[in-house]
Amino acid sequence: MEVTIEKQYPVAAAMPAAWAVLSDMHALATCMPGAQITEDVDATHFMGSVRVKVGPAVAAFAGTIEILALDAASHTLKMLGKGADKGGSSASMELTAQLLPGEGGHCVLAGHAAVIVNGKFAQFGGRMMNSVSDMILAQFAEVFSQKAQALQASQAAPVDHSAAPHVAADGATAAPATAPAVSAPVVATEFNALGLVWALIKNFFAGLFGKKSGT
Amino acid sequence: MNAPLSDREKVLMGMGDARLRKEDARFIQGKGNYVDDIKLPGMVHMDIVRASVAHARIKRINKEAALKIPGVIAVLTADDLKPLKLHWMPTLAGDVQAVLADEKVHFQMQEVAVVIAEDRYSAADGVEAVEVEYEELEAVVDPFEALKPGAPVLREDLAGKTEGAHGKRYHHNHIFTWEAGDKAATDAVFAGAAVTVSQDMHYPRVHPCPLETCGAVASFDPIRGELTTYLTSQAPHIVRTVVSMLSGIPESKVRIVSPDIGGGFGNKVPIYPGYVCAIVASIVLGRPVKWVEDRIENLSSTGFARDYHMTGELAATADGKILALRTNVIADHGAFDACADPSKFPAGMFHICTGSYDIANAYCKVDGVYTNKAPGGVAYRCSFRVTEAVYLVERMVDVLAQKLGMDKAEIRAKNFIKREQFPYHSALGFDYDSGDYQTALDKVLDAVDYKGLRAEQAAKRADPNCPTLMGIGLVTFTEVVGAGPSKICDILGVGMFDSCEIRVHPTGSALARMGTISQGQGHQTTYAQIIATELGISSEIIQVEEGDTSNAPYGLGTYGSRSTPVAGAAIAMAARKIHAKAKKIAAHLMEVSEADLEWEIDRFKVRGDDAKFKTMTQIAWAAYNSPPPGLEPGLEAVHYYDPPNFTFPFGIYLCVVDIDKGTGETKIRRFYALDDCGTRINPMIIEGQIHGGLTEGFAVAMGQLLSFDKQGNIQGNSLMDYFLPTAVETPHWETDHTVTPSPHHPIGAKGVAESPHVGSIPTFTSAMVDAFAHLGVTHFNMPHTAYRVWQQLKKSGMNT
Repeated sequence: MEVTIEKQYPVAAAMPAAWAVLSDMHALATCMPGAQITEDVDATHFMGSVRVKVGPAVAAFAGTIEILALDAASHTLKMLGKGADKGGSSASMELTAQLLPGEGGHCVLAGHAAVIVNGKFAQFGGRMMNSVSDMILAQFAEVFSQKAQALQASQAAPVDHSAAPHVAADGATAAPATAPAVSAPVVATEFNALGLVWALIKNFFAGLFGKKSGT
Repeated sequence: MNAPLSDREKVLMGMGDARLRKEDARFIQGKGNYVDDIKLPGMVHMDIVRASVAHARIKRINKEAALKIPGVIAVLTADDLKPLKLHWMPTLAGDVQAVLADEKVHFQMQEVAVVIAEDRYSAADGVEAVEVEYEELEAVVDPFEALKPGAPVLREDLAGKTEGAHGKRYHHNHIFTWEAGDKAATDAVFAGAAVTVSQDMHYPRVHPCPLETCGAVASFDPIRGELTTYLTSQAPHIVRTVVSMLSGIPESKVRIVSPDIGGGFGNKVPIYPGYVCAIVASIVLGRPVKWVEDRIENLSSTGFARDYHMTGELAATADGKILALRTNVIADHGAFDACADPSKFPAGMFHICTGSYDIANAYCKVDGVYTNKAPGGVAYRCSFRVTEAVYLVERMVDVLAQKLGMDKAEIRAKNFIKREQFPYHSALGFDYDSGDYQTALDKVLDAVDYKGLRAEQAAKRADPNCPTLMGIGLVTFTEVVGAGPSKICDILGVGMFDSCEIRVHPTGSALARMGTISQGQGHQTTYAQIIATELGISSEIIQVEEGDTSNAPYGLGTYGSRSTPVAGAAIAMAARKIHAKAKKIAAHLMEVSEADLEWEIDRFKVRGDDAKFKTMTQIAWAAYNSPPPGLEPGLEAVHYYDPPNFTFPFGIYLCVVDIDKGTGETKIRRFYALDDCGTRINPMIIEGQIHGGLTEGFAVAMGQLLSFDKQGNIQGNSLMDYFLPTAVETPHWETDHTVTPSPHHPIGAKGVAESPHVGSIPTFTSAMVDAFAHLGVTHFNMPHTAYRVWQQLKKSGMNT
């Protein structure tokens, strides 16, 4: 099962902060809910894991990440992630992520991902692959944006609470920003697949009635 | 005792009687006895660890965590079977198949290890806990890719073998080349023909999907050295022979029982790794072992059907007389050649592809290819590869008619083998027994008002505001069933005869034991009717038993519509042996010469004297208690019937579809099926079989598909995706018949249950394509799901 995704996500921070997150594999990995780096093999090779929770069941994917290219000049990361769980599913993703200048001093995260899934996920979840990948990437981009924003805020004013009203004025991001912007965003330690399914169903119906889905 | 003849005949409920199915009383009350109903003392349960990927080397299998689970008794892998030399097994097609993946997996869901546990739950938990590490290899799912020079080597165990079970292998993923007909003569006709047509088509991979999945309960008695196995098998006697050969247990100590079977459709002909593992586990543990697969396992790993990539060609005169047929097939057999065909026919009876037509020259070639998909190639409710052959020729005749601007019915009538040409020798080597195609075609065209339908279609095509496309499908097919004459047909060297043993008891009731096994065909009902007519015993007091190798005579089983053509003949012949002996006894009892006796429904009477007779009941008593001097007591007979030829049932099917131009949804407005199966034994059962076959044909044509992605992941292996029509989706069927008996069969019967499947599938495609014919479309592949039809509508500019 092969899916290619090409998407752009707005990042609520300027280029330097966003690049700082993108170029730090530890920071980047934790943008994925339930994911973490378990071991640094060398500068470009890492071992990682992702925990996926579907109701009461938890699946743990263990795998490797290889940085194929990291270009500060073009703000581009190229990486290859591979993983498998004990229950008979495996996945690989070749990702090219680039930061592009955006509006209002912010930037945009442009991603091109080729995802291959094998095993049970590919058998049973085949028809959902595109939507699921979209949702996962949207969540990832959301956390990424928050992290970059938090990093930018902490660099600008290490203990400055005045950042909060500034963000709140932004309207769309008012709700999450009511918490002190300096604290790192709360990232779930497990990827909640039931929540994802619910979001998928919501988007499906929204699509039927002509509304734009969240992505 | 002198009741009117018609009353006496009615009591028998013999051939031609629409007798209710004897089996149904137990089935509708939930009192059937299927493999999963069998519970033996001390029985343990087996579950299978299956490959998650389609092509990989197995680096390591770790059983430790599984063995720690409470209730888990053992975990077996290929390494554990190696000392017993049971890690590989022979297939029915002369290849070998891994029982448990040996160092390498060849398809997703392949059997990698088995877990035996005290209960089903622990077994499933054990399967989850077995860790298998794979080194993934490039998977090949397309047979054309598989045949490319640089394609990955799928079967490393066959490295360097250029000779397979069916001759030369020209590539490492090639299995066999099979040819029939005269290539040079056919090519010459094509070179000089006024008109030729060619069409590529794919008959997609589908699965018979019986409601009951496959399973076994194996019970080895270590004290007696006896093995009893209850098995979902359409051929229990062959299984006994194979099990004996593999295990070394004498055949007399192996008992295979096929109890009630919930549908087979070819899926239960092969011998599966699960059976072998359950048997091995029982021998090792000395305890009964049950294995029953689930739906996903059944759809993913057991015998699929079809997957033929066919190119058909016809050469004809300008006025539509077909001169030659040529066809080339790439057959995707999956990872192991486990096709279920008579040994000498790796493409089955595909050479019936000249169909109902008098085609003087023909040539067909089939190449079998390995891919990273499940093994199989079973005959899904058809005789071996006959569905593919009928599809090919019926599609090609349509394509030719379209090219010539001829009507589908007209071109068929023009090319039919005429009634007076039978017995007819076909260019590809069959001897058709009997047929009368024109009479049947006329009957169908009249019944549906064919001209009226064509007029309606023309009017609808002319109306741009018509919301639907109307299509008319017509198929005039001939099948070849009843394999088969043992001089050409065998399975693993065992000739394809079948058998019957009849015992008439002293009080006049009877017991018949058969080498076949019903999976829904109603043998207990219909076999008894044959005996009733032959011997004058009411079918109500005739018991039919089959499926238990310890008491039934050896037979090759039930598939390929062979039960009536072969076993039905064995019944008639065994009954006639009894009849002959009964006549001797009757003559003795009435003190007349046998020559003075005549048979009348249920008795022998002295010619011309209705008052002087002996009924079969009286004769049966005498057979045991006062036989004529010199004649041994008893009244029983066994007959092994080796058919002199196949039988050739035929049918004329017509279908009308209305396709919604907006959505691609198809409504089957009308389906008219006329079948000719020769002599009819039970019209009600025939009707039921035809309804079932048409419904399965509808399923294949309109929705069934086993598809794979590029990595070999099977897509849609549950009933969420795999289309199994219910009463909701199933169209209304209209049935009809003609009767053209088989001249070589003792009662003239030809077999019927598969015709509606074989015949209906091309009829649906014929109707679907016909709806687009005025737009220049000559063919598109099944399944005709709304989405695919919608895509076709877009392509044809009908939906923008």
